[in-house]
Amino acid sequence: MMKAMYLANYFVAGCIASSLLGWIASLHPMAFRAVMFLLAAIGIFWVFGWLLDYSISQFLKISVQQLQAVLASVLAILIVGLGVFVCS
Amino acid sequence: MQLKLLVLSASSIVLWLTPLTALDKKISWHKAIQGLSLVAGITCAVSAGNIARKLAPELEIELIKERAITADIIDEIGTSAYVSQTQRQQEAEQMLNPREHLERALALTYGEDGELESERSKQLAEPDAERSQNAESERAERALQLKAKGWGKAKIILELWGVSKGGSEKYKAAEAEYKRLVGE
Repeated sequence: MMKAMYLANYFVAGCIASSLLGWIASLHPMAFRAVMFLLAAIGIFWVFGWLLDYSISQFLKISVQQLQAVLASVLAILIVGLGVFVCS
Repeated sequence: MQLKLLVLSASSIVLWLTPLTALDKKISWHKAIQGLSLVAGITCAVSAGNIARKLAPELEIELIKERAITADIIDEIGTSAYVSQTQRQQEAEQMLNPREHLERALALTYGEDGELESERSKQLAEPDAERSQNAESERAERALQLKAKGWGKAKIILELWGVSKGGSEKYKAAEAEYKRLVGE
């Protein structure tokens, strides 16, 4: 129960952080570009994460399932956080 | 601690969603408040996550303790039930005749096998033989005591075997046993 609670809280923190990224992007065109660059970098790392999941999991000393869960959560965090900011 | 966790979790969600939906992005001070509330929301969510992370192992230990206590109680109940059943069984066995008990035990051990009948009877006869041997040794001891007191053979035989002197078979048998026991 508590484990689910702390995972949920970190998930919410990630969602708010991605909303904050959207908010920063809305401040100035340069900030928008910087955030886009950051998101592109995250996207590239995310794709490489899926492609090299076995190697990365060995490097980070975590199981492949855990790494895949983290990658899926990152995607969900970005979608939810930016979705909330754009739709509000 | 759990209340703090709940408050922080709830406030993080409120700080995230409320300013974004309620305030206008085009007004500068609204936008500033949105940014501040998002930062505050992140802080609350991370704090709540840290608290929950710290509490998780403690609650897990409590859960394990509870499970152990429950298992102990179940084990104790099971043991007491087993003990009372064994006691009842022992009482029932004590109520039975010892000879009958032995017969039952032998019947359970060997079943109805005919080959082992002799062994069964031998085992049944064992207590009788032991008893007669005890009686014999007691009789020998008593005879020696009486002889030491100066009693005569006929008197001792009368006392211990209950046979008066004469030419009867009983007296002869008693006399032979007396001689064997006393070592004459």
